Amino acid sequence: MADTPEAIKKSVRTYLFVGGILFLGTIITVLVATVPMLDVGQHGFDKWDCILGLTIATTKAFLVAFIFMHLNHEKKAVYWLFGSGVCMVCSLAGLTALALGDPIFDNFFYSGH
Amino acid sequence: MEIPYVVTPRKDTGLFNSKIAIWLFLASEVMLFGGFFSAYVFLRLGADYPWPERTLPVLPGLINTFVLIGSSVTVVFAWAALKMREWRKFQFFMGITVFCALIFMILKGVEYNVKFHHQALRLTDYSVIEGHLGKEEENGKPVLDHNGKEVEENLIFIETEKVTFNTVRFHKPWVEEILTQAEHHQSKLVLAADLSAVTQEGQPAEVLAKAGDPLSIELLNKIQKSYLAARSHNAAYRTAALREEWKSAKAANPGKRGWQIASDVNIDADALAPKLLTEVSTVTFAVNPPARFDFHPRDIKEADGQSRMRDDTVIGGKLLDSPMVFHYVDAIDFQFLAMKAVKKGIDPIVAIENSWLIKNEAFAKEAWEWNKLQVAKIEKNLIDKYGINKKTGKPNREPTSKERYRIGWKDFVAKADGVDRDKEKIKLKEEFMGPDYSERESKETFPHLSVPRDQIGFAAKFTPAWNTYYALYFTITGLHGLHVIGGALVLAYYLFFGRKMYMENPEWLANRVEIGGLFWHFVDLVWIFVFPILYLM
Repeated sequence: MADTPEAIKKSVRTYLFVGGILFLGTIITVLVATVPMLDVGQHGFDKWDCILGLTIATTKAFLVAFIFMHLNHEKKAVYWLFGSGVCMVCSLAGLTALALGDPIFDNFFYSGH
Repeated sequence: MEIPYVVTPRKDTGLFNSKIAIWLFLASEVMLFGGFFSAYVFLRLGADYPWPERTLPVLPGLINTFVLIGSSVTVVFAWAALKMREWRKFQFFMGITVFCALIFMILKGVEYNVKFHHQALRLTDYSVIEGHLGKEEENGKPVLDHNGKEVEENLIFIETEKVTFNTVRFHKPWVEEILTQAEHHQSKLVLAADLSAVTQEGQPAEVLAKAGDPLSIELLNKIQKSYLAARSHNAAYRTAALREEWKSAKAANPGKRGWQIASDVNIDADALAPKLLTEVSTVTFAVNPPARFDFHPRDIKEADGQSRMRDDTVIGGKLLDSPMVFHYVDAIDFQFLAMKAVKKGIDPIVAIENSWLIKNEAFAKEAWEWNKLQVAKIEKNLIDKYGINKKTGKPNREPTSKERYRIGWKDFVAKADGVDRDKEKIKLKEEFMGPDYSERESKETFPHLSVPRDQIGFAAKFTPAWNTYYALYFTITGLHGLHVIGGALVLAYYLFFGRKMYMENPEWLANRVEIGGLFWHFVDLVWIFVFPILYLM
């Protein structure tokens, strides 16, 4: 971690740069969603807008986590703690996703037709 | 005793105490918000109504995103300043961070406030109307409710002849409200018939109240007391009698299971009757002379002849015209109606043109015709730009369902200004607060509308009650807002009360600010997903 004054001074520039990218990412997301000329995929909101928007958001989230929250050079214990939280969310969301194929939502499943 | 590892890290983990703690906390926070985001995905995938895409004003959301990103940068600068032992710089950057939190919450407050006052209405044919309701007036003055708030033109009017209270469930404030209204109409509520009841075992019935006695809370309380006493008295007898019956039935049928003899177990009601007291569960008052009472729609299930309030009070009388009056309609949305029509195999355009709104309201028909021209223009533009698919013969890009079936407030502005869709001039203030009705009134931009009660399917303000989208919007942004407030309080504490610690042990303060900063970055990180998901998709 940047602990010495010199290293901190150096990393301040990185923080500014990352801040700039975050601003830029936000502007791109908004422009793609609001300016018809820049609309990706079909006219209006569709899966391509969703993929693009979420990709930019995820990139921004990674930048915040890795640079601002110093996850790029953290101790092992932190990765285990935080990583397990993220894994838990993914697995629970995955389990919930199984419900999408659940026959209880199928009107004809139990009637035998 | 000195607490170890507040400044220096533990050897095995390489971390100081609070850092372990904050990361544990953040891991739980990831699960909390992760849960809400998955709820969003599944509710959206399973929605049985047209999901409101890009429905929130983007500008306030965008500014809030900038504000949070900016504060994320300044909080890390504040930490860096502390590490370099520059107190003034720390104060400056931390000050900006806390100020950013304040701006964020103010904008959020404005956004919420607009929603809480904006009325949505789904008609029985699934057309949706949005706008602002008028206010009830009497002699040119606004009518105020018991909280001193102006009453909206959305009341149920009943020419009330009699009121029957449930003696246990009656809601005191509503009884008082009924009394006030009766007084206002110079009418009286009096007991319809003598009320007699057996209150002592084995004694003849005594008169609790006489016909013509006026309604009062005290009288209702008295009847309630006698009812509750009778109920507990009777219940004791009934239970004892039932026990006795079971006992003898079991003795008469040895070896049989309970369910096999249950049908033979009966209380002898006639034998029990002389011991029982009278249970007065309802009491009816006549309104003399009958008067027009008004009720909030949320409190009553109205019907002609007999309406029932949520406390089981039955209002007897003719249901009068009780329209819901929009002072300004600022959107008409046929997306839901179109969706329902397609499901039934009906052409959505035919369904819309046969809707109550188009058939009965000239302004709606006019707006719909205007909208059809606009959609035709969009269709033409898209064909000119992206062409037609040679295989299917259909245009490569088509107008969205929202463009086809929704006439929003900006469209009403464009129509009034005589310009095409998306060419309207919107003031900056309107981007935040919605349309400036007082100014637009002169151009008659937003029509008035009176909706008869029998056309109303479901009505709500833009609150969690309206649909699952708004339920999620308020849950996620509300929870996020609480995090912003919590984080800002902690950071403000370091800013205003950190000086002493800075003088004694600056590294400890730096560590604390780092922890507060980590939380703040997480709050920013959540918003990075909230903004596109709720505002742009």
